[in-house]
Amino acid sequence: MSSAKRKTFCGSPEHTLSRRAFLGAAAGVAAAPIAADMTQLDVLQESALAGELKKRQKHCILLWLAGGASQLETWDPKPGVETGGPFDKIKTNVPGTHISELLPKMSRRMDKTCIIRSLNTRDGGHGGGAQLMMRGRKDEPNLVYPDLGAVLAKELGRADSKVPDYVEFYSQTEGRSSARLTPGFLGARYAPVKLYEQMSPPNMSLPKSVDADDHAARAHLRDFMSRRFAAGRKSSALESHADAYARITGLMSSRDLFDIEKESKQARLRYGPSQFGQQALMARRMVEAGVPFVRVSRAWWDSHGQNFETHLELVSELDHVMSTLLDDLDERGLLKHTLVITLGEFGRTPRINASLGRDHFATAWSCSLSGCGIVGGAVYGKTDAKGEKVVDGEIGAGELFATIYEALGIKHDKEYHVGSRPIPLVNPGIKPVRDVLT
Amino acid sequence: MAANPQKLKKVKEFGRRDILMSMALVPDSPRLLAGSFDFNVYEFDFEAEKPEQPKRELKGHRSYVTGVALTESHIVTASYDRHMIWWDRESGEQTKRVRAHDKWLRGVEVSPDGKTLASVADDMVARLWDAKTGKPLHELRDHKPMTPHHYPSMLFCCAFSPDGNVLATGDKVGQVCLWDVKTGKLIKTVESPKCYTWDPRQRRHSIGGIRSLAFSPDGKTLAVGGMDQVGNIDHLGGKARFELFDWQNGKSVHDYQADKFKGLVEHMAFSPDGKWLALGGGDNGGLLIFFDLETKKEIKTEKAPMHIHEFAFSADHETLYAVGHNKIALYELKD
Amino acid sequence: MIHIRRIALLLLCIAFGPIASAADLLPADSSIPQAIDHYVDAKLKSEGVQPADRADDATLIRRLTLDLAGRTPTATEARAYVASKEKDKYVKLVDRLMSSRSFVRHQVDVFDAMLMRTANGKPKSLAAYLEVAIAENRPWDKMFRELISADGASDQTKGAQEYLRSTVRDIDLMANKVSVDFFGINISCAKCHDHPLVLDWTQDHFYGMKSFFNRTFENGDFIGEEEYGYVSFQTVDGDKRAAKLMFLDGKPIDEPQIKEPDDKTKKELKKRRDEFRKKKQPLPPPSFSRRMQLIDAALSTGNDQFLARSIVNRVWHQLVGQGLVMPLDQMHSMNAPSHPELLEWLSRDLIANGYDLRRLMRGIVASKTYQRASRWNGSSEDRPTPKLFAVANVKPLTPRQYAIALRMAGQDPAAHRADTPEADFEKWVEGVEGGARGLAGKFEYPGQRFQVSVDEALMLSNDENLQRELMENALVRHLRKVEDDRELIESAVWSVLSRPTDDEERRAFAAYLAQRKDQRDAAVAQIVWAMMTSGEARFNH
Repeated sequence: MSSAKRKTFCGSPEHTLSRRAFLGAAAGVAAAPIAADMTQLDVLQESALAGELKKRQKHCILLWLAGGASQLETWDPKPGVETGGPFDKIKTNVPGTHISELLPKMSRRMDKTCIIRSLNTRDGGHGGGAQLMMRGRKDEPNLVYPDLGAVLAKELGRADSKVPDYVEFYSQTEGRSSARLTPGFLGARYAPVKLYEQMSPPNMSLPKSVDADDHAARAHLRDFMSRRFAAGRKSSALESHADAYARITGLMSSRDLFDIEKESKQARLRYGPSQFGQQALMARRMVEAGVPFVRVSRAWWDSHGQNFETHLELVSELDHVMSTLLDDLDERGLLKHTLVITLGEFGRTPRINASLGRDHFATAWSCSLSGCGIVGGAVYGKTDAKGEKVVDGEIGAGELFATIYEALGIKHDKEYHVGSRPIPLVNPGIKPVRDVLT
Repeated sequence: MAANPQKLKKVKEFGRRDILMSMALVPDSPRLLAGSFDFNVYEFDFEAEKPEQPKRELKGHRSYVTGVALTESHIVTASYDRHMIWWDRESGEQTKRVRAHDKWLRGVEVSPDGKTLASVADDMVARLWDAKTGKPLHELRDHKPMTPHHYPSMLFCCAFSPDGNVLATGDKVGQVCLWDVKTGKLIKTVESPKCYTWDPRQRRHSIGGIRSLAFSPDGKTLAVGGMDQVGNIDHLGGKARFELFDWQNGKSVHDYQADKFKGLVEHMAFSPDGKWLALGGGDNGGLLIFFDLETKKEIKTEKAPMHIHEFAFSADHETLYAVGHNKIALYELKD
Repeated sequence: MIHIRRIALLLLCIAFGPIASAADLLPADSSIPQAIDHYVDAKLKSEGVQPADRADDATLIRRLTLDLAGRTPTATEARAYVASKEKDKYVKLVDRLMSSRSFVRHQVDVFDAMLMRTANGKPKSLAAYLEVAIAENRPWDKMFRELISADGASDQTKGAQEYLRSTVRDIDLMANKVSVDFFGINISCAKCHDHPLVLDWTQDHFYGMKSFFNRTFENGDFIGEEEYGYVSFQTVDGDKRAAKLMFLDGKPIDEPQIKEPDDKTKKELKKRRDEFRKKKQPLPPPSFSRRMQLIDAALSTGNDQFLARSIVNRVWHQLVGQGLVMPLDQMHSMNAPSHPELLEWLSRDLIANGYDLRRLMRGIVASKTYQRASRWNGSSEDRPTPKLFAVANVKPLTPRQYAIALRMAGQDPAAHRADTPEADFEKWVEGVEGGARGLAGKFEYPGQRFQVSVDEALMLSNDENLQRELMENALVRHLRKVEDDRELIESAVWSVLSRPTDDEERRAFAAYLAQRKDQRDAAVAQIVWAMMTSGEARFNH
């Protein structure tokens, strides 16, 4: 049936998958040779790995530069060309690597960090770009992919954990709803604890009228009723209901986790007075307590006007916060188990507009990876002299995600199942950037 | 005096690839010196056959050239590269190169008698220099290095009073300092806080600042230019604004917001008789506004073909030269 | 390309033409429950699966009341139903529920969610239109016609334009949404390329469907349609191609070729538009309406299968918890129905009976298949796949259902007595439902692969206002006055879970009360809380 004509033009390789699942089903095989029931499979994997993970749990902190930070004012400076902007580049402690002068503190820590300068992710819209860069691929019409945090919550979370396994800070309001996080097909079990307006999640303390003993007693009764009901019934929604209630006591006991006052004054001073800094400190605090994934969002970088003034503010802040975070994690022995990412939905145009701003640009931009599983000091990919296109090592969101998963010790081609359909962590054929992986 | 803003008419416009950040007119000549974002300084001659072709290029800076001043013997330029350069007016040779500040220089101005230079930079220091020798005279420190929200502040502009005794400097958060040029002492501060927008919640960064300063011919009134409060701080979306101060008494006497124009007021100039004030600037587009200081009404507003970074009048005030984003424009305001 | 289209058409016929000739299907005069049970049982038999028994009366009254009226029964209703010895009590219950005002309110909620909930989760309401249409059991083909023509001018169709307005700024989305909502077919994949898996759907289909909507625009509060305008698209090979007006059957529709008018005419058209906008009136349709062509094409004999099958599948899914085709928007040749003949029969029946959705619902709930128990008593390895409908599915309550269930449970059991006149009861129920509106907003709407979030568990456990709602309500106050443990437990279980209690529960709750003799009031509240937050209360089983 002239299959040659059926090119996947828009790059939606999901179809190769569907076809495979379909062939399996059509051939009368119930659900391909892989375990049909992924929940069972994963439970087994989780318990087998639990002990090992406890010893050496891996974590990820995503510094989400919402609105789109300029690669030219951060990781890929081009001083002296018409697109370069006014900032100079500076040497770093990695010979031959230069970054923007707005990152003097990071310049002394580049041996811990790898820069990827060759992202071409094609989507220059805030909503679409943010979805793509949080999920590593575009959703299908009827299948919402889980975002990075949800996958890492599932992969790195501990079954017996009393702390949440996916926390998000997003205190600014711009871009928050257009880039809403989602556990996608993994379901609400892996939805983030959202810290927006206040720094502690709602409903984390028992109501005044119920003390801990009373709550334990009523919860016990509730479980008794629910267990009886669940016998002989099967539904993943029903299981999630039991699971949600099973987790709340543990979560409530982690209330202190959200109390920044529990950190020393010295630690708080070190991260600086900014909201972003204080939230990065919270992220470190959570990682130390066993939270696998924290996204600290810093909005809003969308400098259509006055790009340089905006970046002077925001990059200076990023420089301080990120270098403090790396130092702090390193001193606590956490950096080798923690991957710190800086990423946004896209970069910014080389062209400088009349408001001395830069606009949306997804064609040739940068991100950074530091710590766990990453070759410090590596620089991957290259853009042309004016920064207008990638000339070497072009990658998209999928390759970046494959690299992130591998850095955290997760096979990038690991498969989940939705029904009987196998779905790998990144789209088939996508490879990680081995050059930056230890 | 034949200059009449109501007759404002654009007579020439030259396109350019670069952004011209600053300029100075060569007195009694049809020539203009402009500082570019391509790090060069260009000299244009408007009586040449092809005026858009620079007559001279002065190469030496390593970042945006944000200030051009003319002394008797020299062209003095200031740049984001932290340096000031003295160029011989005749030969164009660099005669002196000084690391003037620790951060970006935002501008350089020359005193009315031509003997003193003032520079301002994001290290939040203003400096006075001997124009001839380049010797530092005074270091003027009062602007705070950080904004109240813990981000680096910026010191955008300065202006000498007509008698040359006072220097005004204006920063990002809206503080103006007035300095005694002879002693380097702070005389007075005035505040124009509306030109600084801090968005604490939605986008959590800032925009704005005092972008231009000008003294009235009698020296009593100080005009402070910038942009009004902004909703969406990703864009230059605030109304163009200026505030007039009776600075000696520390009193704000008038606050103007343009109805029709958004963006920054990047440069201002009083008419020689002190009856009107000219404003230039813009957002993605450009603006020119002439404001009657007696009636406190606009005399003339004009959509300029580009965001104007700086402008100047010919000696008779009948010609206005403006530089900015990808363009140079000439206007006439002859009666 | 022509060649490919032919193959696609051929496959279309295989997939959507009659699977079996009409003669092979059960006779048209069989009843709906007969047909359902015939086909479902045949499949069970061929698979060698013994289905679960019929659910008990208490389960059935709760299930029916939730499915049809969107609420839980009162303790009085449940007790009376279980106690009744009437042979036709089930049918009578169905009749009573379907003629209640609650039925209309619930179906409005269900159809509003089905038609208006977008992937972004920002529900806009079509309630104004649905309330009128559902109250009179408007036929589905008529509703389709009204929603696509978007004529919200008359009292009968007021608000109908909101359906298209919700996507009017993105015509690609509109075309796909209409296709998903009414035909169960997601064509968005075919936007960039011919669908590589599903040979049915080519770019021609996507842009053909889009062509029905490309002249549609928003004019004030209404939807208008331009006189002119065509769609073109880029093929995989990079060629630019003009789209033909074409329904999912792949047959291009003849239409007058309209040239783009000159600027003067355009100005006049705009002026006319503005006038209607200012008058707050819908713009009269253009001389040739592409949208009306969609209605005609979709309702023509043969093509009407798309509309009928999709709504049958959706109503089935709504009531049974698992569609005959899953997912609901993948009704294509490569995704066969679990019971093709049943889908075929039900669609034929729907068309033959004037798209009467109440008749369809009544038929489904009358089947044995619907009435099975949700508990599987065999070993879990032997549990049959949901596709066989051997065991009833457990369905998460919608936000509205759960909120109403919690409010209803918290009522004083004496508020509804056996002798309360039906009219008074309806009024009282309306009050309870209205009181649940705020609470409903706090829950997540269950989509596919729904999971209960920990936020919900934290909220129901710790939110101060909700604690009062769950633990200091009229039921708790009533129970505190009951001295006998046995009576207390019995009453609580009837109120919250609509069923009699059993010995194991009685023992557990009695022990709980005994341990808390000195704080009995608190213990009673805790018991009610435990029941309200249990899995049993959260799901329709």
